[in-house]
Amino acid sequence: MNARHFSSVVQHILTSSSFFKTLIDHEVTVELKNDIQIRGVLKSVDQFLNIKLDNIQVVEELKYPHLSAVKNVFIRGSVVRYVHLPQESVDIQLLEDATRREAANQATKAKQG
Amino acid sequence: MSFFNFDQSRHNTAAPGFSQAHDPFASLANRDEEAEEIDFEDTYDGLGDQLDETDDAFNDDTFGGDTGEPGPVGKDFDFFGHTAKVANVIEEENVRFNRQQPAAKAPQPVAQPSAYTPIAGPSYNYFAQAPVRPARTGYEKYHEQPIEDLQVDAALWGVAPKKQPPPPAQPAVPSAPSGGRKMLSLEEVEAQMRAQAKAATPSPAPQHQPHQIPHEQAYLYQHQAQNQPQAHFQAGVVEPLYHQPQGHPMTILQRPHSKPPTPAQPSSQPPAIQQHQQPAVPQQPTQILQNPNRLSGDAAKIGLPVHPTPPSGPQSAHQGHRQQGSLPRQPPMILHPAQLAQLSEEEKAAYLEQEAKRAKRNHKIFQMSRDNGIMTPQDKNFITRIQLQQLVAATGNPNEHGTDESLAEDFYYQVHSQIQAGHRQHPSQPLNQFAQTYLFQTGSRQGGMRRHNRGPENHMQRMEQQVQRAVEAAKNKPKNKQLVIEGSLGKISFSNAKTPKPLLNIKRNDSASDVKKAPHPVNGRDKKDELRALELVYTTLMKMEDHERNMPMAPAEDDQEALAKVFAWSNEGQALNEQLWKALRVQDHDQPGRIHPFMALLSYSKGKKAIPRIFRHTNHEQRITIFTRIVVNLDQLDVVREAQVTTDDIQFNAAMRENIELFSAAIVTTLFTFMNELGLDLVAAILGLVCTRNVDVIAKSRIGASMLTMILSRAELIKHNGGGSEQDWRSWDMTYTQFFNILEPTLPYIFPGSIATDQDTYVWQLLAAIGIGASPDQQQRLVIAVKDRVMDTVSLAKTLPPALAADRLQNVNLFMRSIGLDVELLQ
Repeated sequence: MNARHFSSVVQHILTSSSFFKTLIDHEVTVELKNDIQIRGVLKSVDQFLNIKLDNIQVVEELKYPHLSAVKNVFIRGSVVRYVHLPQESVDIQLLEDATRREAANQATKAKQG
Repeated sequence: MSFFNFDQSRHNTAAPGFSQAHDPFASLANRDEEAEEIDFEDTYDGLGDQLDETDDAFNDDTFGGDTGEPGPVGKDFDFFGHTAKVANVIEEENVRFNRQQPAAKAPQPVAQPSAYTPIAGPSYNYFAQAPVRPARTGYEKYHEQPIEDLQVDAALWGVAPKKQPPPPAQPAVPSAPSGGRKMLSLEEVEAQMRAQAKAATPSPAPQHQPHQIPHEQAYLYQHQAQNQPQAHFQAGVVEPLYHQPQGHPMTILQRPHSKPPTPAQPSSQPPAIQQHQQPAVPQQPTQILQNPNRLSGDAAKIGLPVHPTPPSGPQSAHQGHRQQGSLPRQPPMILHPAQLAQLSEEEKAAYLEQEAKRAKRNHKIFQMSRDNGIMTPQDKNFITRIQLQQLVAATGNPNEHGTDESLAEDFYYQVHSQIQAGHRQHPSQPLNQFAQTYLFQTGSRQGGMRRHNRGPENHMQRMEQQVQRAVEAAKNKPKNKQLVIEGSLGKISFSNAKTPKPLLNIKRNDSASDVKKAPHPVNGRDKKDELRALELVYTTLMKMEDHERNMPMAPAEDDQEALAKVFAWSNEGQALNEQLWKALRVQDHDQPGRIHPFMALLSYSKGKKAIPRIFRHTNHEQRITIFTRIVVNLDQLDVVREAQVTTDDIQFNAAMRENIELFSAAIVTTLFTFMNELGLDLVAAILGLVCTRNVDVIAKSRIGASMLTMILSRAELIKHNGGGSEQDWRSWDMTYTQFFNILEPTLPYIFPGSIATDQDTYVWQLLAAIGIGASPDQQQRLVIAVKDRVMDTVSLAKTLPPALAADRLQNVNLFMRSIGLDVELLQ
């Protein structure tokens, strides 16, 4: 738990977009499926979990020098492997409740549908 | 001839359908009678005077006078054929006119001074007048008897045909000069005129006659003509033209007249009346073929009906037509019949059907468009804004996220941002109820979860403060008082003491408890069940939180409905509480060899986290039961049993450390808060419970030591505040003595790690809590038990940097002061 970030595997789209909204203007690290890790200030997240980052910095800059001149990026949601979140910005219990609620909602929807 | 003895003289002969020919001017005349008489001079704007008569250079180009000198005027006009060429335009104009100008004002052009802008958009005036006038509906031409149908149409608009009572003369006298007053169509007129022209003068062959129009088509033509708003006029005009050619000179859309008309002929004079009164007077202005769309403008410009023409038989009519023909901007009017003539019967039928449909549509459009333009764009904006406001008021401001729907969709964000906002902003700022609910909820959560690593410290600080206060209180207390209590303690017999145990319902647990019970191996199935039970707990908790948020307003005294609501609400809350209680399984019996189901829930981190929320939604008895359950099973808790301290420097693994911290933050803190509400009797009972357990095991864990500190310091605070009855105190002292005796052998071994570690603060706190309540004898035993550790710490402090040394000494001093000593005495 000393780690500053932890990884989150996105499962519930609704909750996660709702969740990412709270992280806007926080610094996050996005790990792409090609192993590049980009740290930057989260600017926006949409329903596809496309991500806009500002003031980016590649974690292993020496390895990926071609990104050192880039200041902001738009990342397609499908290429994201992990988003490392600042732990202090995450209310875990609230997040758990949110997922419970969404699960309950989906259950009722499934029942109705 | 009286039929059924009807008095024919009283019969309203003016009513339509009673054997008189229809007079197309009837309604016009009537209207004009009703309308205020308007002097032409008052309404004529003089535009005609401004016309420039000099620039005639291109007149020839425009009007086709190729020779420059007016040739002999022919009679081979063919309006019908010409008009047919622009059929589409006219159709469009028709539709457009229908929309814009539902009520044809043609009959009364000069009475509309404001009529310069009718095309731009109907004004209010229009609509005020529209209902009282017979207007075309688009159906006219489908009636077999077109003239009569005009009357019927008036009724279509809901207008009583009271205006139809025509001028007395005309219908009542069938022997009027016109004879039968048979209506001829323009086509017929033209055809006859052409025939006349051919017979009279060898005029050039008619150029503009693409085809002969058979007379059978006349009725079609008539229908078409009625499609125009001026159908009344036309019908009325054509007839006299034919049967009294010499008597009714006609003005057909004359070109702008340079001379202002004389006021002697007020335009508002009803032609029909004139006709009746002076049938032979030639100056009977009539007008046909007015384009409705440009009617008012043209009318004003032209000075409309005032152009007396000398009676000259067909010639004058011819001239009139000629003029009309030379007026290019006047769109021709009738066209379709010519085309129709070429069509087969089937096509004609199809065409008529189509036309009927179209007319129906036009009618509908007209009816709907009646209120067009009543509201200005500003009005509409205003209404839109009002509606938006109401919408916002009804659904709530999206920024306030008050509704449960938005909560369901966006729960995390909503609550999180509210919490954040609540912390950022001024605390006194009012938040909505929703925010308050969750804010309160997260208050404890924030202390625990969010600042996870700081949580225990917070808790420890509070505990430390409590111990310190207790120590201070003990120091200030006169010694003899304590002695008095001590003295009384010895005399009290066990049997007489009121024991709270029955209240706590612990007997059974005592019998069932097995100290050596091995932890039951959690097989997969059990784990699944437990996790499922936990989720049930959480679901119920969330329901309860929702339920709490929906609490109805406090009812007025006599408001039965509100009272019923509150009653239902509390009933539901009660049901949820029972559900939660059942899911927690706190009161399940212990099964030998198995961990208690409630404690099993607590072995999961989310089970631990649930405790603060559970405490918010349970009543006092339930909390006590939970507390008791935890204390009874304290030595079986993984965080106690598997986290025993030794004098070796051992490090628990990360999971265990996390577990301990979580337990400390979530459960101990909650119990600590709850304990501060408890009376001495319950505190003593809880301590008594502890005594029945493996006190040494409990004391040798951080969690256990914290719990003991909590219990002991609470008792001291009660003592300090003067609470508790004497009997309670006797019970307490007795329990305490028992506890001390049990704990004493373990005391040297409760320190975590070697002397070098600085993790022993909580132990000093426990020792201080023990020391405060101890008798002098017990204090002495206490000092002896931990003397080595005290001395070692003091000597170690001398080797440490001043800041660190001060910390360590302060810890020790906490204990030393509790027994009336000070660490400085040792140095």
